[in-house]
Amino acid sequence: MAFNYDGVDLPIRETTVASQRMSWQMIAAPGRWWTGAERVEIARIGRAARDFQPAGSELLPEAAVFAIQKLVVDNASLNREFYEQTSAADGMSEDRYVELVAVVVHALSIDEFHRALGLEPEPLPEPLPGEPSRVRPALAAQRASWPPLVPRDGLNDGDQMLYGPLEWGANVISALSLIPENVRWLHDLSEGHYLSFAEMRQPDPLRAISRPQIELIAARVSALNECFY
Amino acid sequence: MLRESSQQGGTLDSLNLHGAVNPEADSGVPYGSLLTAFAEAAVRQTDALPGLRERIASEMGPQELVDAAGVVANFQRMVRIADGCGIPLDDYTKAATDDVRGELGLYEFASAANTV
Repeated sequence: MAFNYDGVDLPIRETTVASQRMSWQMIAAPGRWWTGAERVEIARIGRAARDFQPAGSELLPEAAVFAIQKLVVDNASLNREFYEQTSAADGMSEDRYVELVAVVVHALSIDEFHRALGLEPEPLPEPLPGEPSRVRPALAAQRASWPPLVPRDGLNDGDQMLYGPLEWGANVISALSLIPENVRWLHDLSEGHYLSFAEMRQPDPLRAISRPQIELIAARVSALNECFY
Repeated sequence: MLRESSQQGGTLDSLNLHGAVNPEADSGVPYGSLLTAFAEAAVRQTDALPGLRERIASEMGPQELVDAAGVVANFQRMVRIADGCGIPLDDYTKAATDDVRGELGLYEFASAANTV
């Protein structure tokens, strides 16, 4: 089973393990616009980029490979022109772009957890067979973010509460909602690595480090990435 | 990523965010400089990372180390979602953090053009 930390002398939380295993299952399975094999390939290219290793792909469009590498190592320079050119390139679309971003960032996050703790990266999952569903949510609409977003009523059953009281959710929570499964994925890996959306509104103690310590680390990582948001 | 979550817990009152942009500044939280050094070593993949990991485990505790690594991992993801989707600041976040963003020099970041 993936993410077996039995031989690791560190107290890895159960929620962390569960969210990482779920993430690997998500990556391996066909999505809405990419097959399982393509999704695993996206993760592979992203992992190589983080190690500054050039990697080509026979499975992915050239624009996808370039986008993965930009997201991983040059994210601060991304702009609307990049998004529009990438999503309009051969083999790409807005939907495929959003799904690609989700796979890249969730795989990267898990690799970063391992790297920070000095652990070997988890072998990437074996892709599952099947075709993408190729279904765009009917309620998807253009808002202020580059990709279209999906409102609360367009999310999967049981996920509506993840938007809280907001029809369109907080901007970062709904950013990847063009693929509605991403909203749950975002939440569950947040809970595993950081805090659940509900915990974000609760007082200490939440983790072994205090909330000010948590937010200091978060702000430092954001500053190092030159992320304004 | 001065998010709503920071404000809900009142942490902006107890945390000097200059410690996030300037490693020399006092963040005002226990072990702040150690934690920011750890975050920087992890993000930049420097040789300092193993030693900082050992220090956090021995001075703070192994669970503290694991939780700190989780926060690094989470925000390595979140910044790329923000950058990759060009998300604007939520109105309530902008109103609550505009002053401190200017004070910290965040408007100088290239990504500010996508977000403001």
